[in-house]
Amino acid sequence: MSASSYTPVSAALLCCAAPLLSFVLLGLTPALRRKGAIAGHVSIAFAALSTFFAASLLAGRLSAAQAPADIGQVGWLYAGAKLVVSMGVQVDGISASMLVVVTVVALCVQVFSLGYLHDEPPAALGRYYTWHSLFLFSMLGLVVAPNALQLFLCWELVGLASYLLIGFYFKKPSAGQAAVKAFWVTKFADIGLGAGLLVLYAIAGTFDWSPEAVHLLGVGGATWVAGLFFLAVMGKSAQFPLHIWLPDAMEGPTPVSALLHAATMVAAGVYLIVRTFPIFEAAPGVLAFMAYLGAWTALFASIIACSQNDIKKVLAYSTAAQLGYMVSALGAGEVWPGYFHLVTHAAFKALLFLGAGALIHAVHSNNLEDMGGLWPKLKISGTAFIIGAMALAGIPGFAGFFSKDAILDVLLERNLIVPWLALLAGAGLTAFYMTRVVLLALFGKPGHHTEHAHESPASMLAPLVLLAIAALSLGFAGTALAGAAGHAYAFHLSTSGLIASALALGGIAVGWLAYGKGAFVPGQIAPFAFVQGIVAASAVDRSFAWSYRVAFQGVSASVAWFDRYIIDGFMNFSAWLTQVMGQRLRAAQTGRVIDYLYAVVAGLLLLAAAGFWR
Amino acid sequence: MPTQAYLLLSAALFCLGIFGALTRRNAIGVLVAIELMANAVNINLVAFSRVWGSLTGQVFTLFSLALTVSEVVIGLAIVILLYRAHQSVLTDSASEMKG
Repeated sequence: MSASSYTPVSAALLCCAAPLLSFVLLGLTPALRRKGAIAGHVSIAFAALSTFFAASLLAGRLSAAQAPADIGQVGWLYAGAKLVVSMGVQVDGISASMLVVVTVVALCVQVFSLGYLHDEPPAALGRYYTWHSLFLFSMLGLVVAPNALQLFLCWELVGLASYLLIGFYFKKPSAGQAAVKAFWVTKFADIGLGAGLLVLYAIAGTFDWSPEAVHLLGVGGATWVAGLFFLAVMGKSAQFPLHIWLPDAMEGPTPVSALLHAATMVAAGVYLIVRTFPIFEAAPGVLAFMAYLGAWTALFASIIACSQNDIKKVLAYSTAAQLGYMVSALGAGEVWPGYFHLVTHAAFKALLFLGAGALIHAVHSNNLEDMGGLWPKLKISGTAFIIGAMALAGIPGFAGFFSKDAILDVLLERNLIVPWLALLAGAGLTAFYMTRVVLLALFGKPGHHTEHAHESPASMLAPLVLLAIAALSLGFAGTALAGAAGHAYAFHLSTSGLIASALALGGIAVGWLAYGKGAFVPGQIAPFAFVQGIVAASAVDRSFAWSYRVAFQGVSASVAWFDRYIIDGFMNFSAWLTQVMGQRLRAAQTGRVIDYLYAVVAGLLLLAAAGFWR
Repeated sequence: MPTQAYLLLSAALFCLGIFGALTRRNAIGVLVAIELMANAVNINLVAFSRVWGSLTGQVFTLFSLALTVSEVVIGLAIVILLYRAHQSVLTDSASEMKG
């Protein structure tokens, strides 16, 4: 390829094509797929290629900030001569940096999985990597989408791929149920995206989010479209009350959780808001709702995370909480802080999940009580996990600190005091529950699985080290990334940042007092016991199940009645009528030739009479 | 001779044919009656050919005669088959198509 034809557009196309090629290759050649690790290497090679193209795109964007977006698209659907929708790529600062985030995390996860899923049968491993390639392709297609329809198509593909991966251990009934639950909850929410697209097209006559389209929408139209889109975001990005699928999705292999929670599935929701922000910006009501709902989700999920004993569930609720931070910040009307948190969160949450994967791999259990005292045996994985925990807790200097500070700052600036307070409380709780996890898993008295624990192989440590470096350094890249995306951002220590840091340190201190020093037992304190009660009763899930039963089964019963008695009744009646008429009419068929001749003559006479009397 | 005479003859012949076809139980009798009806039509054609001074009617009559002959051949073949199957040429004997 000559230098002149290597444009950002072709790089983006190659970036998306690599995982697609890998998916097609693995999907269509069972012989290769069933080789297991070899299929994994193929998928990893293509993911690495994709990462390379993404990195080259971001490098180009960083050196030429403020350049207009590179868009390459071809017409796809026409109505007569009018172009209805096109397919293509849009490369700007946001999509280029997101491409890097997605490809790097996916690459790390795929490499990590080689070690983590080492004991799986080769055919299952090949299947795993096939779906991984599909997942990566769908997410990349979503990231570069120049219009909302292409985004929608890829969005659904992302949902499908995550369904397939959550249900990877499909022989376990709980995994199958979790996959179906994730699929149905997000599909329910996706009704919003589909309906929003229809409204958008009906009013603006386009699937773009260009200023002209937003102008045509007006405030009313924008509120409809943004509100419907936000329903889909609530499902995908696990906002209350549609967060219920996320903890169950932990049934998938741990690397899948890392991918789902960091860069692909849940990130898609926030990315949709970032991408279509011009529409959201024109709908102040939706923005305010987002600010409050996000803050509530952050607080609620943080509280629940404190009481979980499954290390992956703690992380799952923390993901819902961090997504709440992003949604809340976007609701404040500012793109950059939320997007920045999406990027830093991708790094440290992937790190945390892969680190948790290393711990789980060592003790063969998700339960925090089975771990304990792992630190001396797992120095590298343990360090990586602690770095991730500190980034999540927002300790100054780590990636999470910078983005969380930006979020709190913008909320305070926009006078959203209630969400601001909720997020501050969430920051303290986050530090508390991460301290709890670290102390219970890595320190303290050894669990009964601890003695056989051993450090993970290099294929699992390398991604951990890479992501740990990202979690340490990404916060300092904020200004450059913001510049490439056309936003002004420079770090300054704000009041909110100071308060949040103090709260985080306080949370760590309380956590240490409770789980390190053993000064008190949280389970015996009233508020904590209350939360545990709520979790034990799984109140949200139950209320969903109840309303599902009442609403859905009510509708089904009436539909079934209509079908059984009205539709079937009509069919049965016409069948009965035909039979009776046939019985009567068969007498006319005497079989005698002369009788038929009589009929002919009678017909002739009738015709003659008709001619005569006409 | 006036045209009405031909037409009356033709109509009488046709009605005779219908009567025969409906009343004969013998299949050959039915065939003969049908022949009568066909020839009633032929008379009509020739009569109008004379009225309009055109040969078309007479040509049609020739065609019609050829057709009638073939029809009789097929009809008689059916009668023979009927006889082989039922040892009878009565139309009543063929009533397998009774519903």
